[in-house]
Amino acid sequence: MILNDSDLVRTLARLHDAYEEAIVANDVPTLTTFFWDSPQVVRYGVAEQLYGADAVSMYRQGYSPYYTDRRIVRREISTFGTDFATVMSEMEMVIDGQERTSRQSQTWVLIPELGWRIVAAHVSNPILRANVLSNWGAYIDHVAPALGLPVAAAHRPGVVGNLERTAAIAAPLLAFTLPDDMDPAFVFTA
Amino acid sequence: MSAALSAHATAATIAAAVRARDVSALAVTEAALERIARTHDRFNAFTTITAERARAEAAAVDAALAAGRDPGPLAGVPYAVKDLFDLAGTVTWAGSKILRENPPATRDATAVARLRAAGAVCVGAVNMGEFAYDFVTENAHAGATLNPHDLKRSAGGSSGGSGAAVAGGLVPLSLGTDTNGSIRVPASFCGLWGLKPTYGRLSRAGAFPFVASLDHIGPFARSVADLALAYDTMQGPDALDPACTTRAPELASPLLHAGVAGLRIGVLGGYFSTGGDPAVHAAVERVATALGAIRRLELPVVECARAAAFVITASEGGCLHMERLRTRAADFDPAARDRLLAGAMLPAAWYAQAQKFRAWWREQIQLVFRDVDVVLAPATPVPATALGQETMMVGGREMLVRPNLGMFTQPISFVGLPVVAAPLQAAAGPLPVAVQLIGAPWAEASILRVARHLEQTGVCASVAVPLS
Repeated sequence: MILNDSDLVRTLARLHDAYEEAIVANDVPTLTTFFWDSPQVVRYGVAEQLYGADAVSMYRQGYSPYYTDRRIVRREISTFGTDFATVMSEMEMVIDGQERTSRQSQTWVLIPELGWRIVAAHVSNPILRANVLSNWGAYIDHVAPALGLPVAAAHRPGVVGNLERTAAIAAPLLAFTLPDDMDPAFVFTA
Repeated sequence: MSAALSAHATAATIAAAVRARDVSALAVTEAALERIARTHDRFNAFTTITAERARAEAAAVDAALAAGRDPGPLAGVPYAVKDLFDLAGTVTWAGSKILRENPPATRDATAVARLRAAGAVCVGAVNMGEFAYDFVTENAHAGATLNPHDLKRSAGGSSGGSGAAVAGGLVPLSLGTDTNGSIRVPASFCGLWGLKPTYGRLSRAGAFPFVASLDHIGPFARSVADLALAYDTMQGPDALDPACTTRAPELASPLLHAGVAGLRIGVLGGYFSTGGDPAVHAAVERVATALGAIRRLELPVVECARAAAFVITASEGGCLHMERLRTRAADFDPAARDRLLAGAMLPAAWYAQAQKFRAWWREQIQLVFRDVDVVLAPATPVPATALGQETMMVGGREMLVRPNLGMFTQPISFVGLPVVAAPLQAAAGPLPVAVQLIGAPWAEASILRVARHLEQTGVCASVAVPLS
């Protein structure tokens, strides 16, 4: 089996570029044709599990993009033999004024008489760019013992997730400049 | 049968019938207890039924009347309280498993004591999201409370039991609390009138806290007159709550029928007019049209206000529960536990920034209310969500349900503005939604006047779901 045949890698790169262009344009008919028209196709989105081409197509029709400035920052293409490939990419985008990063995995197969089609795909939840090298896990590991607040291993991912979400929500607040002489609004009367 | 015994009877109807001795307070109480027992499996609204207490309070009302004494304006009116208000002799759970081990409360919460003094009859405590950190009342210990309008849907939270008990016709009146929307979200999901007064207006003494900087208490009812009557009854200073105002009570009931003439009413645009189901924005437009409110206003940097409320909530909540998190983490509702653990570890500078921002934003909001008396906004981004639903589509975007149901309520309570949740039928379907009638600080009487006008003109209404 030939790994990463250079012509094939270029073909997949061209196809993925065209797919990305259609994503940014939210060109639903084009996007639909990129997916294998089969009940066996699977697409896991940020929050949706789509089984079968019909489900993917229906999802596309009800979807409108909520990000801007989307761009691929890293792409890894691997081809196996003449009819099987994976395309893995990292992308950045802006959501609600914040830079976020997401990942996409695609499995492509050369379907006889049709051409290259995506047969399976998965997109991850876009997380805040600042948290990509998530420091919150390490933060918990240091702060929790210092506070005498044990965080069970089973609870740790949930706590990391909450800290990430709070950090994302708090970002505009923390960036907001307030007058130095602004007193906090505590309720206290001496 | 006296109309006062019906599941649809308002508090005013009941009190009038009891005071006229057309019906005894005890008979009204027995009818309410029977409805609660009959529907318990359907709504899962009540966590504790205080039948003995209710019968004793009703008997005291009847005895006062027999002796020619005035039992008060809420004579014989049955009501329920969110399971975080202390009821003497009953353990206050606050929706938790851990607090069930506490001894019974030794005295009534201030609000409960004032309702009792006005002749009202407490029939029990109702379900809530654990420690009030919740918008859906899907409680891991006590189960989910079901929405009487559609039993597959949430009653809203965290005062979900308070909403279901009134919408289901079990009682005409209930008490809830609102830190980020926990009265207004259930009012919207259950189609009820709800009042979150100005921060500091009503005493919180004897109500288990969540976020001292943001906690409010308030009533739910199916009529504006009942809402105002309950509110008026609970007003007054209270040394037991350091945030409770020393201002003299400003009664809303006497002004209720003054109409809306002279009130400048606007609609919040920007953040509040986008990012929700079209049905909730259509509801705001219907109310705005009925009130002739054409003026559009925008509040500055609303996302920062929401963020600051989020940070203060997590931080004060985490601090409140720190010791229980240390020793009993596994006994928390998982939905609350991880948020509280994260909150307990937030950097102090974030919290201080949030409290400074609150002072700054309050100044901005005061400027807005120079030009306007009441502003309108949606209460929830969607009508009642399904039980177990994790995400919702909002403006073409998929969002998590639990943290986002309060997106329109959270920035408003953040600076303590008084709000009436005004219910109406969503245009698109059978479910109700509520519109927030938001007033300047201490202007409860004005927003209740607007509410009464909307009720009188048929624009807004709360209807008890018929009991089968």
